Amino acid sequence: MLANYIKIAWKVLLRHPFYTFITLFGISLTLTVLMLLTSFLDHLIGAHYPETKRDRTLYVERMVMSDSTAHSMMSGPMSFKFLNDYAKTLKTAERAAIFSYFNGSNAYVGSQKIKLNITFSDADFWRVADFDFVEGKPFNEQNIKNGDYVAVITDNFKKQYFSNSDEPVVGKNVEIENINYKVLGVVKGSPITRPFTHADIYFPYTAPKSNYQNTGMRGNFIAMILAKSKGDLKTVQSEFQSQIGRIPLPGMQGDFKYSELEVRSDPYLEHFIMTILNGGPGLKNIFYGVIGFIMLMVMGLPAINLVNLNVGRILERASEIGVRKAFGAPIKTLMWQFIVENVFITFIGGTIALILTYILINIINASGWIAYADLAINLQVFSVSIAVCLVFGLLSGVLPALRMSKLSIIEALKS
Amino acid sequence: MIRHLFKLIWNKKQTHALLIIEIWASFLVLFGLATLIAYNVRNYLQPLGFQYDNVWAISLNNNQDTVAIQEKIETIFQQVKAFPEVESLSRMSDSYPFSHSNNGRTIKYKNASSQITFISADENLSKTIDIPMVEGKWYRNADSVGKYRPVVINRKAEKQLFENESAVGKILGDNDGKGVWIVSGVIDYYKDKAEFMENKPYMFELLKSGDTWNKALVIHVKPGTDAVFEAKLVKNIASIAKGWSTEIVYLKDARQQQHDMTLIPVLIFLIVCSFLLINVALGLFGILNLSIARRRGEIGLRRAMGATEGKVTTQFLGEIWVLATFSLILGLLFAVQFPLLNVFDVAAGIYVTAILAAVLIIYLIVTLCAWYPSRQASRIHPAIALHED
Repeated sequence: MLANYIKIAWKVLLRHPFYTFITLFGISLTLTVLMLLTSFLDHLIGAHYPETKRDRTLYVERMVMSDSTAHSMMSGPMSFKFLNDYAKTLKTAERAAIFSYFNGSNAYVGSQKIKLNITFSDADFWRVADFDFVEGKPFNEQNIKNGDYVAVITDNFKKQYFSNSDEPVVGKNVEIENINYKVLGVVKGSPITRPFTHADIYFPYTAPKSNYQNTGMRGNFIAMILAKSKGDLKTVQSEFQSQIGRIPLPGMQGDFKYSELEVRSDPYLEHFIMTILNGGPGLKNIFYGVIGFIMLMVMGLPAINLVNLNVGRILERASEIGVRKAFGAPIKTLMWQFIVENVFITFIGGTIALILTYILINIINASGWIAYADLAINLQVFSVSIAVCLVFGLLSGVLPALRMSKLSIIEALKS
Repeated sequence: MIRHLFKLIWNKKQTHALLIIEIWASFLVLFGLATLIAYNVRNYLQPLGFQYDNVWAISLNNNQDTVAIQEKIETIFQQVKAFPEVESLSRMSDSYPFSHSNNGRTIKYKNASSQITFISADENLSKTIDIPMVEGKWYRNADSVGKYRPVVINRKAEKQLFENESAVGKILGDNDGKGVWIVSGVIDYYKDKAEFMENKPYMFELLKSGDTWNKALVIHVKPGTDAVFEAKLVKNIASIAKGWSTEIVYLKDARQQQHDMTLIPVLIFLIVCSFLLINVALGLFGILNLSIARRRGEIGLRRAMGATEGKVTTQFLGEIWVLATFSLILGLLFAVQFPLLNVFDVAAGIYVTAILAAVLIIYLIVTLCAWYPSRQASRIHPAIALHED
């Protein structure tokens, strides 16, 4: 039966190439936009290189201090000392990495200027983030203890800095702001859309200019805390909060007297939402609401369009429906047929969309708009798209089918 | 004629409900897009207010060094000034043009108050980045001896604080209303987050001589100066102040960055919207094609009664216009709320422009989509059409 319906659908499609074109154009472009969106969100939020353990990582990025009247507020990253005291010492966590956000800097090769981002990190950074080492190895606790002037660079920076980039560069020197650092390793870079791990050069936190010596609570360091398992996240979070809760209040930071102190440790998605929407609880729902609204707009308009088109076109097939009804086909069967037809068309559109998305993603990845972009159609993206396809097919199939079911046999046969 | 058309549409309101929703939704999408574009275009058309060619910004960070900061900054300043490649230089806070940093505060004058972006800079800034004065003059270092600190504000700030009075020579108060600053001059535009930024109130304060906090340098170099000089400059600064970080930014690049931050979301929105609208237009065309083709009998009859081709075409176009008007009235009920409630603090004029543009485009789309099917239908020969029935 199903095969029969599909055969009919195919014939109907071929009968009016123009309408088929409109229909498929709508479906495939809509789904392409949706798939690209999902893929991009997945790129931003999902656990990908080098933050592959994102699902069991907590991000500590901001300290908010406010005075008793909540009139003035100070917020930003923390000092190395603070994180070393409160994040590194967590007993329930597997480990914690402390590092700075990337900072801009410049390197000069001849008359060439290379813009680069530098990060200062501890040795655990390399254990929490899974970087691929093209050459060499990361710096370890010993390097840090010795205060070595060493660095890990990315393959991209290597290409720009060393004229003969095919040769291994481990052991060679790079000069950044008049200080020579020995290259210990070369990693495949992390895209800028993952701001926690992105940089061109990674220094140990004891390198000059890292300001890890700051004694107050505020500074330029942030942390990633790795829980032993995904289920442990809550435990680690509450242990961290209880540590923070033990800090005596009120206190002084420079000239600023604060009576409230908030430091959050959040999984990446929550952190991400907080950052783009500037904090506050309950934002997760708003974020999903906005995404949902955009998706609905992107999907809803073409869907209404399709319903409109289908409603019109189904009347063209009035005689077919009339005959089937006259021979005793119940409305349910007829509706089922039209829904199958619609889902079938949607899936053709879906296939086209998949191909289009694949091409576009490859173009985006290759274009260098985002260095190290790794947009992909993975299983998750694909299953979301399939689900969307189904909803789309049902949405645009049900209404015309209902319309058709109201058609009286006599009317239908007359035409 | 129009009443008749309305009746025709109203009688088939169920059939047309979906079409109305479709046009309504398209209108809303277009309204959003047009608002975004109108907002940015209006901002872009306003002048920048300064020039950035061959201007570099040097940000300095003393890190752990706390010894003799002021002396070191002075030495760096003198050394950099001595280079023949440097035409002029100015010291200012970290919010140099096109930077990402911002510093705001509330400024009062009598009963008026304004949330102003605050910048500290020395006497050379107006010369270095070429800010023309509208009234009064840029402050001098020598002005710092008076009771009040000299400031320069822009027109927008003047308007917010003084309405129609001239600001020069007036005393401005801080949040508590206590007089702190004296206005020495007024400039026109200063859009330091690039052309797409809205014109906002700005205030420049004379940098205090003992200030160790604000130590960014803005330098105007001779044309053709390149990275070789830059490397030399960085080396020179590093030899004066050990352990400091130096970052040099070309304002041209920083401007591009600010542009990208505005343009990329607009571009994505534009692409998605145009795809939606092409989709809608194609669909509309298909639907109208079908529904007009189904009314051959009616057309034949009208033609037989003596209606001209033009009249038949006008009827179908009129019908779709009435339909579009229905949807637009629905859409306008939503859209008018934006200028009325002053949503997002955008000027009402922008919303009105956007509404007009969206309405116009909707009429254009429906006309284009209905034109071809109507023309086709009107050419039907009455004899053939009536024969078929």
